[in-house]
Amino acid sequence: MERIVTVAPEDGLHVRPATAFVRTANGFDANVRVGPADGDLVEAESVLAVTSLGVPSGRAVRIVAKGADAEAALDALEAVLSTPEAKRST
Amino acid sequence: MPEDDHRRTIDGTGAAPLVGVGTAVWARSGSAADLEAPPEPATVDPAVERGRFDDAKARAREELERERERTAERIGEAEAAVFDAHRQFLDDPQITDAVADAIADRLPAEHAVRRAFEGPIDQFQETDGTVAERADDLRDVRDRLLRILAGDDGVDLGTVPDGTVVLVRRLTPSDAARLDPDRVAGFATVEGGRTAHAAIFARSIGVPAVVDAGEELRSIEAGATVLVDGDAGSVIVDPTTEQRKRVEVGGDVEIRAAPVSTADGNPIAVDANVCTLSDLEAAIHHGADGIGLFRTEFLFLDRPTPPNEDEQVETYAEVLDAFPEGRVVVRTLDVGGDKPISPPGRPGAEHSFLGERGIRRSLGPDADRFETQLRALLRAEAVGEGSLSVPFPMVSTVGELEAAIAAVESAAGALAEEGVDYAMPELGAMIETPSAALLAEAFAERVDFLSIGTNDLTQYVMAAAREDDRVAHLHDPCEPAVLRIVERAVRAGHSGGARIGMCGEMAADSELTELLIGLGLDELSVTPHSIPEVKASVTGVDTDEARSFAERALEATTKPTVRDYVADR
Repeated sequence: MERIVTVAPEDGLHVRPATAFVRTANGFDANVRVGPADGDLVEAESVLAVTSLGVPSGRAVRIVAKGADAEAALDALEAVLSTPEAKRST
Repeated sequence: MPEDDHRRTIDGTGAAPLVGVGTAVWARSGSAADLEAPPEPATVDPAVERGRFDDAKARAREELERERERTAERIGEAEAAVFDAHRQFLDDPQITDAVADAIADRLPAEHAVRRAFEGPIDQFQETDGTVAERADDLRDVRDRLLRILAGDDGVDLGTVPDGTVVLVRRLTPSDAARLDPDRVAGFATVEGGRTAHAAIFARSIGVPAVVDAGEELRSIEAGATVLVDGDAGSVIVDPTTEQRKRVEVGGDVEIRAAPVSTADGNPIAVDANVCTLSDLEAAIHHGADGIGLFRTEFLFLDRPTPPNEDEQVETYAEVLDAFPEGRVVVRTLDVGGDKPISPPGRPGAEHSFLGERGIRRSLGPDADRFETQLRALLRAEAVGEGSLSVPFPMVSTVGELEAAIAAVESAAGALAEEGVDYAMPELGAMIETPSAALLAEAFAERVDFLSIGTNDLTQYVMAAAREDDRVAHLHDPCEPAVLRIVERAVRAGHSGGARIGMCGEMAADSELTELLIGLGLDELSVTPHSIPEVKASVTGVDTDEARSFAERALEATTKPTVRDYVADR
């Protein structure tokens, strides 16, 4: 199961938004991978890996989820990426 | 060791304008550089190393939780969030996998940790701006693991005896969080810049600190008596009675809650410079007459999006309420220079001291942020108790000042149209550039007050970057050129009809108080901890004598001469 989402946070997928993304992904059983829409995917459970993608604001990313709650995981992750104000310390 | 070797001075960079003396303790954080070459692979048991690593990780997690709690309590939730990032790095599969691989290659846990962090640290290091700071966070996590693996529980900085001077290789956010300002007399580090996040922590909790003192610091043995002069940026081993006097004087000065005047009755306001709301308490405690500089950029640091208008109104009103009788100077956003806030759409753009910073950004790419901030300030003035003054930072032309004033008027117009309560604050300009100093009269004709920011003004007059240790010796307010430009700005400002204040390290140096009063300054704004000493100095000054002293000092052509004059007073 996969989805293409545009990155809304103005700093792109940098440390804080990436942290929120990874934390959300870890909250699901599904195995989640993420990457640029046209590029290689990395494991979404590693903040280092997600940050190293260097995805800027406004770019599309592909999220691939496998597992029982894959759809719920995709919904939650889409919500994180399309929230322009990344939450501070959640 | 020969007798005269005991007493020596090690130079570093002052991180808080305070002086403390005490007994040295080394908090030896582990450091990747301290590791010896790995042993023969055959002697390493991967199962044992795996267990050691897992234990260390568990311990590190406990420490991080404890430190997070302590920081949230003592400094604030935003500062505590750094430990969440550390925990996430600690648990990051990329790191854990790399450690497992290295242990499988028969490396001991310490070396495995060093190797696993290398790549990610380099990766962050190469990026610009705020992301590069994450390399420091990664190092902090790595060194925590190394320290635990080395069997060192670390000195618990929260329970050291009273009067301890903590010496440490690097000033990490974790070290700063563990510091108990009531027990720790000072803090000195081998490495690390003045602007590092952790140095800001040290300043905000009021601990004398010297950073970047170099390898020589390592020669100080635990148990030695050490004086940390966070003002001069030096560490003195086995200080003389004379040198220790400065500390005692600082410690015993009476706190005066009421405004003070010179001996001949000339009132001089002594206000506090603050960065965060937690500094307010220190300002009140030390007898500030008001807030002379609230650096609003700290509201914006370390968060991906700026605080919204309502949030800002609440913060500014809180500062105003803290000084119902006093004046509160809230400077508009000064992004750039040593305060890198990622600008929208330009991640990693350079924040040169000579580039787009302060009002230049507010009138340019940050116009929206500026408008939000001005609306919040005008609304806060309507609801808060004290009297609000708003200066603009880094102004270098009359046109910029006029544009900034027009922006305030336009914000007021919009609020009036929307029927939102607001009130006009006093407006002012920061004198931080040589051009502003030379145009002070024209500035003064357009605003109510001027405030000389000596840290920036000195760097621009001397063409010596604040963050560059190699030119730190040029960064001295006693340089004759700095004195002369200050004098000129004060005179021109007065003839334009404005009040003139000064904020920055020069104002906080109580040895210079007489000179500053002699130069004609009306207000001094200093770090909260320096207020009692500066107020005490003010009461001892005779204005006429101070004027003739200032005239003499202005004739000096070298810094040592100025320093000699000051020392002889």
